[in-house]
Amino acid sequence: MAKARALDKRRKSITNIRKITRTMELVSTAQFRRAMERAVAVDSYTKRLVRLVGDLVASGLATDAPLLEPREKKERAVLLILTANRGMCGGYNSGVLRAALARLTQLQEQFQNVELYVSGSRGLSYLKYRKFQIDQFYGQFDHKPTFDDVNLIANQFLTRYAKGEIDRLEVAYAKFVSISKQYPTVEPLLPLADMTKPAEEQQAEHCPALGYEFLPSPQDVLEEIVPNAFRLKLFKTFLDAAVCEQIARMMAMKAATDNADQMISLLTTEYNRARQSQITNEIIEVVSGASAVQ
Amino acid sequence: MRCYVVTPENCVVDKDVKFVVAPLTDGEYAIAQDHAPVIGRIGAGELRITNLDGSVEHWFIKGGFIEVLNDDISILTNVAIAAYDLNLLQSQKRLEDALAVQAYSDEDINQKEVDVAVARAMLRLAQKANERLA
Repeated sequence: MAKARALDKRRKSITNIRKITRTMELVSTAQFRRAMERAVAVDSYTKRLVRLVGDLVASGLATDAPLLEPREKKERAVLLILTANRGMCGGYNSGVLRAALARLTQLQEQFQNVELYVSGSRGLSYLKYRKFQIDQFYGQFDHKPTFDDVNLIANQFLTRYAKGEIDRLEVAYAKFVSISKQYPTVEPLLPLADMTKPAEEQQAEHCPALGYEFLPSPQDVLEEIVPNAFRLKLFKTFLDAAVCEQIARMMAMKAATDNADQMISLLTTEYNRARQSQITNEIIEVVSGASAVQ
Repeated sequence: MRCYVVTPENCVVDKDVKFVVAPLTDGEYAIAQDHAPVIGRIGAGELRITNLDGSVEHWFIKGGFIEVLNDDISILTNVAIAAYDLNLLQSQKRLEDALAVQAYSDEDINQKEVDVAVARAMLRLAQKANERLA
């Protein structure tokens, strides 16, 4: 009975693992839906903001805000890496880290100093293991980053950038395109040079009515709108990262559950066979014993 | 006339309205039907929306922009809280905290003034909401 019992034990433990992975799959599906709703909500804000910028540009307003201009000075750059706080999400973390480290080497060639900012304890432990110096760590972002939290970080970056302490900010994160397509990427956020570009594209469709009245002045509106666009962009990267993490976890856990299913059916067959052969053996023993007595 | 109030996290208002009063940086600004196109910068304070049936909604909003174009009012703001959801005690505490900050440099003084103004606006709204409820 020894072999059959061992097989049964294994089958039971795999059934338990399957329960866990299945639950995690369901949880991440629910979280993914919520994260997705938030990402859609921010889209409507972004669209209106981009339209507004387009209107501003069309109104002949010079876009000479300091945040928009590329900087000559190349002293200090910041690379912000957005990873997950937890694992069990397939290649999500390693994908982002790989993209980030590749970019890091390039940045280090261009800039004298590159600071590493990391969000998510997975990224932190990996980079520590690789003996990178981490200048700032954020652990408070989980599947639901709030605008207020991101806003605090955004304001820090804005002040430091305005003071000239940093000359460039790039963010490494997983970009969400569709449910079946996400990829790790590194995007420059400061200077915000390409902010007006999508606005110009959109402008063609939108055809703004000129002759806006600006309150209190166009310059004043621009002063507020540019930092806001930056905050929003940063917030979007956090949201994207959250959505992608959930998708990655969903996929990974689905694969794990399917795999467990397969193993369970395999082990069941093997267990049945082992049990059957044991019974057959016992019958043979009984029969041969009986015939020996005769 | 359609009114949208959007924050980065969600869209809080999306409906037909009769009249809107928004707090700009330099005072309140009212918008009725067929208003000329405007882009304005929002300060902190009370947003009043008069619905088609004449009832008035009160919101606390902070920062952002208002755009009026072809009878569409878009309000993009960082914070939008219904006045009834404001907590009187918390708002009071916030104002006290803002007033208690010691500011010496120009930058800090400016920041303090902004914080105090925001806290005052919040408190005023909370008080008004409380009175309406009473």
